[in-house]
Amino acid sequence: MRKVKNRTLLAALSLALLLPAVAAAQADTGSADFSRFVAMGDSLGAGFMSGSLHEGGQRNSWPSLIYQQVNGSAAGFEQPLVSSPGIPGILELRSLVPLVIAPAAGFGNPNNLTLPRPYDNLSVPGFTMGDASQTVTGNPVIDVVLRGLGTQLQQTAFLQPSFVALWLGSNDVLGAALSGVAIEGVTLTPVNDFAVALATVGQTLEAVGVQQGAIATIPNVTSVPFVTTLPPVVVDPAGNPVVIDGQFIPLIAETSTGVRPLGPGDFVLLTATAELAQGRGVPPPLGNAGPLSTFVVLDRDEVAAIQARVDELNALIRQAAQDSGAALVDVNAIFDEVVAEGLNIGGIEYSADFLTGGLFSLDGFHASPMGYAIIANAFIDAINATYGGSIPPVNLSRFVFGVEGQLPIGGGTLEFGELRFSRQAWRSLRKSLRLPTRKELKRALRASQRSETRRLRLSERPADRQARLEAARSGGGKLRRR
Amino acid sequence: MRTRGRSRVAVGVAMMLALLTATASHGAGFSIFEHGSKAMGMAGAFTAQADDPSAMFHNVGGLAFFDKQEFLVGLTYITQTKADFTGVDPFPGSGTTEELETLAEIPPHLYWVRPLNEKYKVGLAINAPFGLVTEWENKDTFTGRFISTKAALTVVDINPNVGIKISDRFGLGFGAILRLAEVELNRRAPLINPFTGQPNDVATVVLESDMDNGVGWQVGFLAKPTDRFSWGFSYRSTIEVDFGGDAVLTQILTGNPQLDAVVAASLPFNAGLPIATSLEFPDAASLGFAYSFTSNLLVEVDLNWTGWSSFDQVVIDFTNDDLPDETLPQNWDDANHYRLGVRYAGRRGEWRFGYVYDETPQPDEGVGPLLPDSSRNGVTVGYGWQGRLNWDLALMYLPFNTRSTSTNRDNYNGTYETVAWLLGVTVGW
Repeated sequence: MRKVKNRTLLAALSLALLLPAVAAAQADTGSADFSRFVAMGDSLGAGFMSGSLHEGGQRNSWPSLIYQQVNGSAAGFEQPLVSSPGIPGILELRSLVPLVIAPAAGFGNPNNLTLPRPYDNLSVPGFTMGDASQTVTGNPVIDVVLRGLGTQLQQTAFLQPSFVALWLGSNDVLGAALSGVAIEGVTLTPVNDFAVALATVGQTLEAVGVQQGAIATIPNVTSVPFVTTLPPVVVDPAGNPVVIDGQFIPLIAETSTGVRPLGPGDFVLLTATAELAQGRGVPPPLGNAGPLSTFVVLDRDEVAAIQARVDELNALIRQAAQDSGAALVDVNAIFDEVVAEGLNIGGIEYSADFLTGGLFSLDGFHASPMGYAIIANAFIDAINATYGGSIPPVNLSRFVFGVEGQLPIGGGTLEFGELRFSRQAWRSLRKSLRLPTRKELKRALRASQRSETRRLRLSERPADRQARLEAARSGGGKLRRR
Repeated sequence: MRTRGRSRVAVGVAMMLALLTATASHGAGFSIFEHGSKAMGMAGAFTAQADDPSAMFHNVGGLAFFDKQEFLVGLTYITQTKADFTGVDPFPGSGTTEELETLAEIPPHLYWVRPLNEKYKVGLAINAPFGLVTEWENKDTFTGRFISTKAALTVVDINPNVGIKISDRFGLGFGAILRLAEVELNRRAPLINPFTGQPNDVATVVLESDMDNGVGWQVGFLAKPTDRFSWGFSYRSTIEVDFGGDAVLTQILTGNPQLDAVVAASLPFNAGLPIATSLEFPDAASLGFAYSFTSNLLVEVDLNWTGWSSFDQVVIDFTNDDLPDETLPQNWDDANHYRLGVRYAGRRGEWRFGYVYDETPQPDEGVGPLLPDSSRNGVTVGYGWQGRLNWDLALMYLPFNTRSTSTNRDNYNGTYETVAWLLGVTVGW
């Protein structure tokens, strides 16, 4: 009896000895110092999902997941959490046949507004690299994150982070892809401006003593389901391509080179569904409603211009990583591979397809919970490789099989009657991502034509592009060199 | 007497075909090496002895030395006391544990030898030199169910042989092999549910081949240069079996009627979809040396080589293009077994002991739910005695090396742990 008692006592003692160690368990981060981890990003960093800033997406944003893998829990990582149905109301799949995706009615509430310091995840939906150092307010979503306390960069500096994860730049090219119009300075950030903005971020972080970080490349935004889902050919009401004499019938559209039939390399955006429903894009004599507007079509010249810009900006990002010694997370390369080959997880084929690909949410360009988990693992891989740590990757089973992997929904406040990818859905997305309105785009188009500057630098010779890039690099300064 | 023998053979064949509903792999890869309990007691180090009718499996050269008609019939009971998988991050994740269904397979063996005269001997062997069952428990929740829930391979060899006694010290043998084989592959098919963004099981996929066949040959010799020393070599050819069969998809409802309707309309459910596939069974060679230290103590060492590089991929061709063809890459390497056997003749019977190291032919990226293989060390003990019948018993303890993979082709990574036990019983007369 006494023996048993002693044993119990011993067990209790050893438990007591073990417990503090367990509580303090932190992943081996190698030489990386995660004592103050701050994320600077855009909607992708905010965990924006299905067109909404919603705690369902935020709780497993990639910055939060990295923090969780390092510290064992999310406790202590402060984010601007927004209650369901999110801001703006989160998109929901109401029906598969016919396809109905519409936002939940109403708005969620920011639940962490009174935090007496900047958030650890300062990612702001819609932010460009330039916004990081320039923008304090502008729309409700920005205000939820920044609260008028200063720019993203100022607030990051205030926190004096030991480690910064930086993933900005997608919005420097995304506007062109989503609005179907590539205009230098309006939907595409000029290379010089981006270089200056990146250098500003680097210099400011260096000035406050930030020594470590991770920086990610910009994915090819023309490969997202928002762009790639609708076929550029006439389809019947059942969604099957119309075939005449063994040929598909190309849609006609306003393109950057005038009205013409669409062909290989041209894309019809998800936003075209309303025009398509009106019969636009169907060539005479089959249809007479006119061509699709330039705002719902991404033609091959625009795609080429966007991809060229993505490559130019990524060259700057890679250079910044090299100069600063930060871990480089090549999301661009990873996403290209997923687009080309899919991603096999335990016999499940994930892909960049809309709705059934599993990696994108219902807005067609923000990630699903699984998509963000995979991005988090890409960051963790790169951080481990650079700093010699062994932070464990996120357990994907949680997202493949568990409730964490489910697309968040609005919580019962459904609003019926929206068809397809609704105008309303698009409007709320555009607002929260700070994309230009059609009116603004038209004005910019007219202005660019008036000033006789080329709308796109399509015919730019490679040598010229190289020279411009060099100029941008040398003028743009560099992140801190170690 | 002769008639009685024949009917026994016939009964034996029938019994064996009935038993061979499935057999289990426990030689590395999907080979089975235990086809005679005497040899099994010495861990299969028998190439240079080959002195019972199982010579037709271990080294057909031994057939040359038989001087009377003999029959040998037996079973090997194969089971596992452990067959577990533990996952690692990122998938299926740390904390994931899975278990294989407990094996209980009984591949039989049957041999008949008849000397025609002093020089020429004939024999017939029926056994199952290959076989596989990998079936996972809890198929509804098994994290690897989209890769495989069950893989089974059943093989029966019918193998007539001729032995030629060139001299009292050199025997040659060769034979033809008719190999009957059958394959079954089951898995679940996933679809990302657009409403949840997560995969749902939408179908069970059951691929079953017909019992098809291929032919091959074997050759071997056994040399006895001195009364104490013998050595032998045998070789069995590759055998290609082309399979026909069908695949049957059965819908699993997700509970969302819209999604279920789309799935029902897009997959050919509840019909036998014709398939074709092909499997090239590897060739194998054995080299053995035996030495009698005393009249009752013999030691043998063997090297077996198996040409597993023939197992490069499995292509499942949907011959009517009902579904896209599937390719399961394997890219195995040739592999060796190393065997050591000892036999000691006691007063009443003979004790046997053995050890085998059996290399896995499977590369890390192939280690997965379809066929998780590993190198293994086996130890055996056997006992044989002669009465009205000749009895041989053997027991084998076969712990597999813990096999971890982090490079699995399906990104399904973790550690497989297996412990197998085999019990052989063979009777001859």
